[in-house]
Amino acid sequence: MASYWQQWVRRWRLSEMRLLFLALWISALAVAAVGFFTDRVESAMERQASQVLGGDLVLSSSRPLPDEYRQLATRLGAKMAEVVSFRSMLSVGETAQLVQVKAVSTNYPLIGELQAANNLTAAGVKAQLPASGELGAEPRLFHALPAPVGATVKLGRSEFILSSVVTKDPAQGVNFFQLAPQVMMPLADLPATGLLSPASRAEFSLLFTGSERVIRELKASLQAKLAPTERVRTLQEGAQNVQQALQRAGRFLGLAALLSVVLAGAAIVLTAASLVRHETAAVAVLKAFGLARRRILVDYLGNLWFLALVAGILGALVGFFLQTLLAHWLVQVVAIELPPASWTSAWVSIVTALVMVTGFALPALLRLLDTSPMQILQGSLQAPTALVGVFMLSILPAIFLLMWIQARELSLTLWVFLGLLVAVVLFWWLAKLSLNGMARLSTRQGWQGLALLRHGRRSLLLVVVFAMGLFTLLLLTALRTDLIGRWQASVPADAPNYFLINIQATDQANLENFLKQQNIQANLYPMIRGRLVEINGQPVTADDYPKPEAKRMLEREFNLSSFAVFPESNTLLAGQWFDANTQGFSIEKGIGETLGFNLGDRLSFDIAGQRFTETITSVREVRWDSMQPNFFVVAAPGSLLDKPYTLITSLHLAPNQPELIPTMIRQFPSITAIDTSAVLGQVRSLVEQATLAVQGVFAFTLVTGLLVLWSALQAQKPERQREIAVLKSLGANSRSLRRRIWLEFLWLGGLAGGLAGLLTLLAANLLGFYLFDLGLSLNPWLVILGALAGAGLVATAAWLNLRSLLQVVPMVLLKT
Amino acid sequence: MSENNRVIVASGLQKQVIAPAANNASEILSILTEINLQVAAGVSVAITGASGSGKSTLLGLLAGLDVPTAGSLQLFGQELTQLSEDQRAALRLGKVGFVFQSFHLLEHLTAVENVLLPLELAQVKGDLKQRALTALDQVGLAARAQQFVTKLSGGEQQRVALARAFVTQPELLFADEPTGNLDRHTGQEVAALLFRLQHDYQTTLILVTHDESLAAQCNHWYRLADGRLHRQESV
Repeated sequence: MASYWQQWVRRWRLSEMRLLFLALWISALAVAAVGFFTDRVESAMERQASQVLGGDLVLSSSRPLPDEYRQLATRLGAKMAEVVSFRSMLSVGETAQLVQVKAVSTNYPLIGELQAANNLTAAGVKAQLPASGELGAEPRLFHALPAPVGATVKLGRSEFILSSVVTKDPAQGVNFFQLAPQVMMPLADLPATGLLSPASRAEFSLLFTGSERVIRELKASLQAKLAPTERVRTLQEGAQNVQQALQRAGRFLGLAALLSVVLAGAAIVLTAASLVRHETAAVAVLKAFGLARRRILVDYLGNLWFLALVAGILGALVGFFLQTLLAHWLVQVVAIELPPASWTSAWVSIVTALVMVTGFALPALLRLLDTSPMQILQGSLQAPTALVGVFMLSILPAIFLLMWIQARELSLTLWVFLGLLVAVVLFWWLAKLSLNGMARLSTRQGWQGLALLRHGRRSLLLVVVFAMGLFTLLLLTALRTDLIGRWQASVPADAPNYFLINIQATDQANLENFLKQQNIQANLYPMIRGRLVEINGQPVTADDYPKPEAKRMLEREFNLSSFAVFPESNTLLAGQWFDANTQGFSIEKGIGETLGFNLGDRLSFDIAGQRFTETITSVREVRWDSMQPNFFVVAAPGSLLDKPYTLITSLHLAPNQPELIPTMIRQFPSITAIDTSAVLGQVRSLVEQATLAVQGVFAFTLVTGLLVLWSALQAQKPERQREIAVLKSLGANSRSLRRRIWLEFLWLGGLAGGLAGLLTLLAANLLGFYLFDLGLSLNPWLVILGALAGAGLVATAAWLNLRSLLQVVPMVLLKT
Repeated sequence: MSENNRVIVASGLQKQVIAPAANNASEILSILTEINLQVAAGVSVAITGASGSGKSTLLGLLAGLDVPTAGSLQLFGQELTQLSEDQRAALRLGKVGFVFQSFHLLEHLTAVENVLLPLELAQVKGDLKQRALTALDQVGLAARAQQFVTKLSGGEQQRVALARAFVTQPELLFADEPTGNLDRHTGQEVAALLFRLQHDYQTTLILVTHDESLAAQCNHWYRLADGRLHRQESV
């Protein structure tokens, strides 16, 4: 053991060993920092999304839920709250109003906080649940009823005091079509009202929170016992609008993390190659002394694994510290609370270091073992050249494995991996072509000014590494800008915060006039209720579909619409949007997938007892988080207006127009106005968190890129030192040497950056289109920006790294 | 030897270095104690000595690669000890050639590109490539001009180094054990080539070697021992 340790210390003196350590440490650090950070932001986002759902898991039924479920949850250690929700009439004196009653148990809400105010104009603050004998109500109830806060109202057989204006119910969900204003009451008061009889229509829900394991077990146990009326929802099946944003953010974070691993991998490859060059003589000597190959292998491998272990542990520690700093700083910028990090990322970073050293250094070592001891006697040492096969068998699987560990999504990993392979081959080929071409040109008369660029040829590998690094950074920048822009555009400051529904066709013209006078922009869409009864002439019922989602869709009525202008928040995927002469249906992509119909199929709806049949002429993708009215099925303009219909619209109200809604309701009593600002606030805060995560990860990747660039330069240092000494002996002065370094790296960086920009242009479009649902855009600035950024970044880093070499005394040439 | 045809005039040159000793201490090591040497243009001078006697240190000092601790040294009539590193480099540019024991060719360049290097550094005008190819032809390597130097044998690499050294037709050439890394036969070939080129271009040659047969071919032969130069009469 002592001798092993001594050997390790002796080997540590090799600059390559220290460099390898540095590269391993940097990768472990990057993985740990990105991992810890994304972990925290992801759980913050999940918490936010769970809040919209009301819990990590929600069980609901149209019948009272058996005690068995409550006992099961208690046994597993889940926290639980109970909600019963139904419609009823609430009366004040002679006036009655339909309300949505939400009776909640004392530990509601499980996630987030309830906010309430004492009057309509005050801002909401954190509040307790209504006490026994009290009700909290949404602002719109107060608009609809002639009752102020503190009034006594009657609900069923009981009397309640309207004690507060509920401004935020975290688990209100995203149901825009809830017609009646919501009132909240204590669950314990519910039996006394006598409102619930076995025949009542109500939704009984149990909300659960708990650790991931508890929720998983609970879900499995519940699903085994579910009655037909009962269903379980988790975050994954939760609100659709929240999920889209969450998915995109998650994918981006995964992508960013795995690209930073690839960057660090490039540094390891460079350093391992350099180590092999250095150790060739040592191995030849050891073999000449009679040491067996196996012994040498075990010896080197042991050393390297120890190195990786130490680098991994140190990387995890420093990564944790860095992440804390970054989170602290970013939290101050966007004011969001991040939950603590889990320790998984520490393990991942240690495993990463070990996989890297094994995958990247082992093949080089095996080649090293083939060094013939005869070389020592012959006096000419040839470092073994890496074989393509070795790359295939070891480095590629290692990269793939690391990516997979990072991305945790096989298809994403596969695509990015293939993309990177193509990128490396392309970079290699293009860089070789231009470097060699330039070198050849530089020996022609009149082109001697290019002579300096000839030296760039040795840096083919460097150009590929730089280009990969810059490509990663540019790609992340391009996607980041696009993503954040898209997210923010999806919830702009003037996003609609009110839905108006139940607008009578006879009121349409007057309402449009009224809104125009108030300078409010709103498109009114007709809304027709219909039940899907046939697909291609074949009757359909809920029983034909095994999926609960499909069953639910067929059991209720669809909201159909018909209009001429294609909505901004939609994307046409297939077919043609309506023009003046066409008939047909335009469907939302998801509903077609769920119910199994597509372009060209014929759908029949039963609308108020009449059959309405059309062919599907287009497929749309709908951004559900747009806060605009969206429809699964749209018919050609005007085609449904002979059926009974109401209209729907969404509008944005500034906070200084509180009187507008009550005035409007008085003028158009049938209209129901739904305040969606709470939902909007939740979506906006989600976007803020996603933005935060993306920016944080971007910062880390930028730092990793620069560090890798640094270690790549480090690997070339000995050779460059000798070169500078030779040039000095030939009479080069320090000014011309400085110029050489700057010009060479400006050219290399510019080349790498230009290539990276070109590929980014391609990849950002491909990725944006397939993974993030973004449109195509061709931006030549990416190439120019890439070349400029590459030249600036690489030349500056190279100068800072290499300038100390200018101090080299040419005497070193005489000592070797 | 007339005053103005002296290429090198060294008097009372000393070189001391600080060497690390046991217990983190350091000691001053005197390598050269009293060097006096005058070299006229066009002659060849050999310096021999045991390993560690300071031959390479002396060569470095004479070429202005390093500065002496004490004494005076003139190169082409200029006092080197008064000049900065850049000024010393400027003095060498285009006028001084080097041949090293380990060749020190730039591995990422082809043979002809290595030979082009000093011409480009000195910003020589004209068809540089043709000049470089001619230089390679003189050492018998015209056919291998486009090869990367790592593909060449040791003897071939040293011949490329000779072409690189002579391509600027330097007034002064320093050779540090030019045959030290070559087998006997190849060494003899390279030495013959060196002396032929030196003769053709009338270059002053300072040759450091421990090969006495090589030293014997020079006009003057000095032995370095105890930090001083001792004149050795040719056999």
